[in-house]
Amino acid sequence: MASILVSSSEQYSGKSSLCLGLGVLLKEKGYKIGYMKPIGNLLIDVNGLLADEDSEGIRKLLGLQDDMSYITPILLTEKLTDDALMGVEKDLDDRLKEAYDKVSKDKDIVLLEGAGGIGGGAMYNLSDPEVATKLDTKMLLITRYDSAQAVDRILCDLRIIQNTEILAGIILNEVPADKLEQVSHLVVPFLEKKGIKVFGVIPQDHMLRSVSVSEIVENLNGEILVGANHMEDLVEHYLVGAMEVGSAIKYFRRMPNAAVITGGDRSDIQMAAIEAKVKCLVLTGNLHPSGAVLGSAEEANIPVILVRGDTMSTIEKMEHLIGHARIKQEVKIKRIVELIKEYVDIDGLIAEMGLGK
Amino acid sequence: MLDKLFNPDVVAVIGASRTEGKVGHAVLKNLLEGSARKIIPVNPKVTEILGLKCYADILDVPEKVDLAVIVIPAASVPLTLEKCGQAGISYVIVISAGFKEASLEGARLEREIIAIAEKYGIRMVGPNCLGIIDTSSSLNASFAASMAHAGNIAMMSQSGAICTVTLDWADRIGVGFSKFISLGNKADLAENDFLELLKTDDSTAVIAAYLEGVKDGPRFMDVAREVTRRKPVIVVKSGRTAVGSRAVSSHTGTLAGSDAAYNAAFRQSGVIRANSLEEMLDYSRAFSTYPLPHGKKVAILTNAGGLGILTADACYSTGLAITSFEDVTIAKLRERLPEAAGLYNPVDLLGDASAQLYEYALEILLDDPNVDGIIAIVSPQAMTDVPAIAQVLVDTIQKSEKPILCNLAGGTRITTGEKLLNRHGIPNYPSAERAVASMKALCDYSSIKIKEHTNSVVMAVQREVAQKIINDAIASGRRTLGLESIGLLKAYGIPVVQSRMAGSLSEAIQVCEEIGYPVVMKIISPDISHKTDVGGIKLNLRNAEDVERAYFTMMSDVKHYMPNAQITGVQVQQMITGGKEVIIGMDRDPQFGPLLMFGLGGTYVEFLKDVSFAIAPINDKEAQHMISSIKTYPLIAGVRGETPSDIKAITDTLLKVSQLVMDFPQLMEFEINPLMVMPEGKGCLAMDIRMTLRKE
Repeated sequence: MASILVSSSEQYSGKSSLCLGLGVLLKEKGYKIGYMKPIGNLLIDVNGLLADEDSEGIRKLLGLQDDMSYITPILLTEKLTDDALMGVEKDLDDRLKEAYDKVSKDKDIVLLEGAGGIGGGAMYNLSDPEVATKLDTKMLLITRYDSAQAVDRILCDLRIIQNTEILAGIILNEVPADKLEQVSHLVVPFLEKKGIKVFGVIPQDHMLRSVSVSEIVENLNGEILVGANHMEDLVEHYLVGAMEVGSAIKYFRRMPNAAVITGGDRSDIQMAAIEAKVKCLVLTGNLHPSGAVLGSAEEANIPVILVRGDTMSTIEKMEHLIGHARIKQEVKIKRIVELIKEYVDIDGLIAEMGLGK
Repeated sequence: MLDKLFNPDVVAVIGASRTEGKVGHAVLKNLLEGSARKIIPVNPKVTEILGLKCYADILDVPEKVDLAVIVIPAASVPLTLEKCGQAGISYVIVISAGFKEASLEGARLEREIIAIAEKYGIRMVGPNCLGIIDTSSSLNASFAASMAHAGNIAMMSQSGAICTVTLDWADRIGVGFSKFISLGNKADLAENDFLELLKTDDSTAVIAAYLEGVKDGPRFMDVAREVTRRKPVIVVKSGRTAVGSRAVSSHTGTLAGSDAAYNAAFRQSGVIRANSLEEMLDYSRAFSTYPLPHGKKVAILTNAGGLGILTADACYSTGLAITSFEDVTIAKLRERLPEAAGLYNPVDLLGDASAQLYEYALEILLDDPNVDGIIAIVSPQAMTDVPAIAQVLVDTIQKSEKPILCNLAGGTRITTGEKLLNRHGIPNYPSAERAVASMKALCDYSSIKIKEHTNSVVMAVQREVAQKIINDAIASGRRTLGLESIGLLKAYGIPVVQSRMAGSLSEAIQVCEEIGYPVVMKIISPDISHKTDVGGIKLNLRNAEDVERAYFTMMSDVKHYMPNAQITGVQVQQMITGGKEVIIGMDRDPQFGPLLMFGLGGTYVEFLKDVSFAIAPINDKEAQHMISSIKTYPLIAGVRGETPSDIKAITDTLLKVSQLVMDFPQLMEFEINPLMVMPEGKGCLAMDIRMTLRKE
């Protein structure tokens, strides 16, 4: 049985996506896959039980049979934090090991996902490197490459890991198109010279940062007025329609796949957005648009979402939503798998994990 | 086409009602008041209305029905229309409201009835309309309160209320119509269809329209261009301001399109734009009444000096000429007019002028070949016999081949005179300014009517090269193109400045050496559209040192202003001096398509808004018109002994851009900014471009 722990220095670096993509790929290759996110930090309610959002999603998407309480044995509840601060012994190590034994039974490989950042869980002695050591597994570090500062972060992570023996290697994720050359010519050789194996350089992909119309409806607590059969359409950007209509249409045309946020009373902006064929309209202030506009939106297959909040608060929510979306859609999973296949040295990784098929 | 719509033999009223005050009753009654044609009420609840046998269902009617007027709740219209189709009815007027103008549910119903009409080949007026009136066939298929008087003005309106208002106004002053069409939601038949019909309609001399938008812009231009060669078309287009256009969008679910595009489209197709209903009606009456003037030389005849001066001012400011009379005219006037009278233009007959004096003066002025038209002003002074003068005006107008527009000014004391004019179908313009505006419309149309429209010349271009540049960009997912795509212009034979791309500083220096100093350096980034704003343009770099310094400042400035911008590199260009900067642009208008723009370049352009527009494709004349109609044209043409710029080169570039944007509908926006125009004979050079593409 082989295993690897996927860790990152920051949240939203692509750990879940990588686990999911690797899981799908390894399954395709005929391996029996197990998955754990030992420490759940994104608590949600699943049929009355607390669970972690990421691990619940991946469990479903990979079709795993293991019990949720083994996939994520430790949930970061407030009680747990308080107990840890007061020094109450919770036998977390035992829970971790017991779950790991259960999950890894009859599996060829177990993918472990870290909680948040690399140091997350340190107060319970369960930071990613500590978990890796306790379970005797290696770590795979995934880092978003936005600028050369990412190199600093990687080297810093290495110091946190201390025993660099347990680091299998790293993957640079979401590399902007204009930095790809710099990364492959300078960054990768630099890291490898330091003995850090780079398993992949994955370019930025706007589709993966996108959110579906249904996610927007859900997160903005909105009401879908028309276009309910386009709920799974993906939105990559958002634009704010607060200018005069002549400029608005130019602005909308330049941005493909955008959602337009505007007031429910701005029928001119709404029509400009429909004319520019944007992905969806988010109307703020709980102001119902006119029937004629709705009719035109429906005809153009553009979903219209009505939200209660004002434009400013809606922008804030959208800002957070786009790029931080959980992977739920089939198309996105397909895209992740494609990207991993194309840009990650899977065979090298398999060899590193000690799987010999 | 549409003959049986305006002159049906058998008309069914579906939803006819016995109850007075109901629309279904009014329509039936109006139809019955027209000429003898078979009218069939349909209503399942009654067996007889107004003495006519009433059928329960349109499918029960034994006769072949030519026109069905539907006056039932919106929700029932689809089924009824389906039945009309089965009954083989070709024309339908849907008066019922509750469609797209009302609600989402209504919008769905409207889509449904459009599909049904298409399926059966039914041509449909409305929904949500007042109906139609044809005075020549004596058809009133509307719920208007009264029948229109017969006349030669055809009126169509996108607003039912404006129909009602116009009919009521016309009734009071006796203005007549040939056809009256309430367009409603224009689900099927729209302005273009009716324009085509009215083009050859002998009873129609003038077409007036109130529109909130046009359904098919390019076809509107084609049709209007044809129609306006035969008869004048006057349009009031509402929603010209931001708030107005918002109301139009909300009301109709269409994007109004820019007012500049409407102005350009109307000008290019010979449509006269009125700014208000009042203007539309004033102009319509002028066209309805008067022969066209042969030129714009106007004589003003008045019995009040002040009004004469005001009229002269108004003429001058609208561009009409205050004519100078021939010597013989002045001599003849002097014979009979009082000594203190004004003999030159304006001709002031003085306050005590009699009807006979008016008659004499009118005759002399009409005889003068320097007079194309007359504005006759009558003020009700103590000794003025207004009705007698009005009679003189009527008599003279009826035999005159030149237009004489009347302004009986005043209130109570001109009423009789005004009524006399109206009784003879002659408008009285309540103010001199309104008379002048109508005279201007008559003059404008005289030149519209004789304007030859030549198609634009197709130029030899490398279309495949341009196609490849666009295809490649679309394939790589890019929506905005900049300098890196300047090859597109080359392919269309537009001269471009010598320039090269560089990915790094060392490459940039090498390129500069090759091009030769001084050079200009510009940032290349798909995310940056206003390079100057982010420090993305460095001018007049004289050596490698300059280039190095400029490169570093540029990169750090751009990063500072737009930290997330993707930077592909820099573009190095020859530094060009000695020319004038102009802009050529295009925005694809939602209604009319490619709207070309021309203006003088430089920092103040956006502020001054001194630009001209035209809808592509344009011909040579239109290109020249675009250039010469900006206010700063003299700066290009050369002021105070300056050498004029190469206007021919600009014209040529405009024509090539026109062809480019017609060839590639994927181009949503396009701008050459600046186009450096050299002195006459030295050509022009495109210095920078910006484009937005649409996914196919």
